[in-house]
Amino acid sequence: MKKKSIVVTRRDFIRGTAGAALGAALLGPQWLRAATTAGGRSVVLIVRDEKVMDAEFNVDRRILAAMLERVLLQATGKEDARAAWLSLLKPTDVIGLVPTPLMNPTHEELIDLVRESLVAAGVPAANIVHAQGRSVDLAPLTALICMPGLKAHWLTGIGTVIKNYILYSGAPRNYHHQDSARLGEIWNLPQVKGKTKLVLVDALRPVCDKGPQFDPRYRWPYGGLIAGFDPVAIDAVGLKIIEAKRAELRGEPWPVSPPAVCVEAADKVYRLGNSDLSRIDIKAFGWKENALV
Amino acid sequence: MAGIRLSLYFFCLALGFFSPQGVAWSMDSEKANLPETIASWKLAGPPRRIDAGNIFDYMNGGGELYLAYRFDRMLAWEYRDGGGNDITVEVYRMQASDDAFGLLSLDWGGEEVSWAGAAEVHPADPVAPTARALYGAGLLRLWAGDIYARIMAVRETYEARQAILELGAIIAAGRPLPPPPALLGLLPAAADGAWRILPDRTAFFRSHLVLNSFFYLSHENLLALDSSCEAVFATYQRQAGRGHLLLILYPDADAAAQGMRGFLRTYLPEVGKDEHFYKVEDGWLGLKSQGRSLALALACPDRESAQAILGRVEFAEKQRRSP
Repeated sequence: MKKKSIVVTRRDFIRGTAGAALGAALLGPQWLRAATTAGGRSVVLIVRDEKVMDAEFNVDRRILAAMLERVLLQATGKEDARAAWLSLLKPTDVIGLVPTPLMNPTHEELIDLVRESLVAAGVPAANIVHAQGRSVDLAPLTALICMPGLKAHWLTGIGTVIKNYILYSGAPRNYHHQDSARLGEIWNLPQVKGKTKLVLVDALRPVCDKGPQFDPRYRWPYGGLIAGFDPVAIDAVGLKIIEAKRAELRGEPWPVSPPAVCVEAADKVYRLGNSDLSRIDIKAFGWKENALV
Repeated sequence: MAGIRLSLYFFCLALGFFSPQGVAWSMDSEKANLPETIASWKLAGPPRRIDAGNIFDYMNGGGELYLAYRFDRMLAWEYRDGGGNDITVEVYRMQASDDAFGLLSLDWGGEEVSWAGAAEVHPADPVAPTARALYGAGLLRLWAGDIYARIMAVRETYEARQAILELGAIIAAGRPLPPPPALLGLLPAAADGAWRILPDRTAFFRSHLVLNSFFYLSHENLLALDSSCEAVFATYQRQAGRGHLLLILYPDADAAAQGMRGFLRTYLPEVGKDEHFYKVEDGWLGLKSQGRSLALALACPDRESAQAILGRVEFAEKQRRSP
């Protein structure tokens, strides 16, 4: 991959030209041509339940299972979870589940429920593997379920969907500094591209500041799953939720810092989806209070 | 901030609360004892040893924060209560007390914790809070000499809070209490035109990654910051208006000149060399330099504000005051 210096500044963000600066820096003259091929609208689902966790944050598996089913049915338009999965996958697929492993990890209950639901849909248990980490052999995997936890990230603004495959790069530190804008390129690696069949974000207890090593003052019970097929749109909605929570905590606008250039670049440069909220339809189900969108 | 006071009496009682068999650990010549048990928690085993080589295995990208603050190594213990409400104790050894202070300064929120016997200094015009330990929602963060520690429970309960505070007292006990970084002494507490510093927004750091986490300039290191630099960021308020001051002390004048040139070239490519104040998208920006020092007023509402905030900055090291 050709490497160029990316010089995007605060001024670009305030002027609203960060996307152009990113595009020009990463793609050069091809940027203008690529920029004219913007896609259509994206749908992001939010399913919430106030009682999915108790006061001590223990997860109610029965409620979480119902939330997962609702996500699947709404995402696919099918009538049951089996039909929903089979519209996304084949029973012969080898499926990698890709949760967040450390620091506000994806809830084990959610990982287990997805696994159980896939098995119930006819996928052999042996064909469902844990696929997070730099040592994962992606070649045999024919499908990925991206299952990060929703969190702000002190280096990349948000550390959720686009960042969830960082270990597949084999060199995660390369994406921690100025090159965090390039996180989207990992989704286009040959062994990754096109394999993600569903993005399912664990937003039961998101973190709105200082991730990944979080401070519990910034972790709150949102009680949600955020899902869809557009990884960029889901990050954009996650970012909106995080920034709304930050503003609520501080009583004034408190945007994530640094800005999440990886989300805008994933849209404008790597063409992975929509980062523009005006092109994203948010469909919310369940608990409405403090939805933050 | 509401204070939490652990009196010496309570502290001694708390020590009696522990099992007599402690676990010795050392970081160079300094030693402390963490108890085998504390209330219903039991130490799970020896500490995990983290250094620059394995910090990313422990906390992924969170490791960059500690490297940016000249982290040397860390020991991490787990206390288990059998019910899943584990307490993690992380003790980070930094290269200098300033770096441990810097980590605490990233967030002055939470309840201030004072250890019995600790000398307390409350300057009349503070430019930063005087807290050395802050507690909130089940996490205690503390600065004790060149040690920065985080002690956190999975769930905050009354018992967990007590255990966390007691563990913090043990870690802090007997450690030196150096002053905050001398660079804070260059920060004016007030500036002309009724500008006043917001002490709980003052942060010390060395890395552009850290600067970006509270005031984004660019993903590029425009100011050529590195571990040999000292920097402090402060926010000033006048009625509803705010402005910021970034002070950087480079290792030498050449490094300072290079930092300023890089910033001007990339951030302000359209301006003339001899100007000192610029109108940009988020307000007025001012620059002032001398020797190895550079000061920037950022996002000020007008030129006069940038001038007022920069005007009180005195670079001469002999004029540094105790912050």
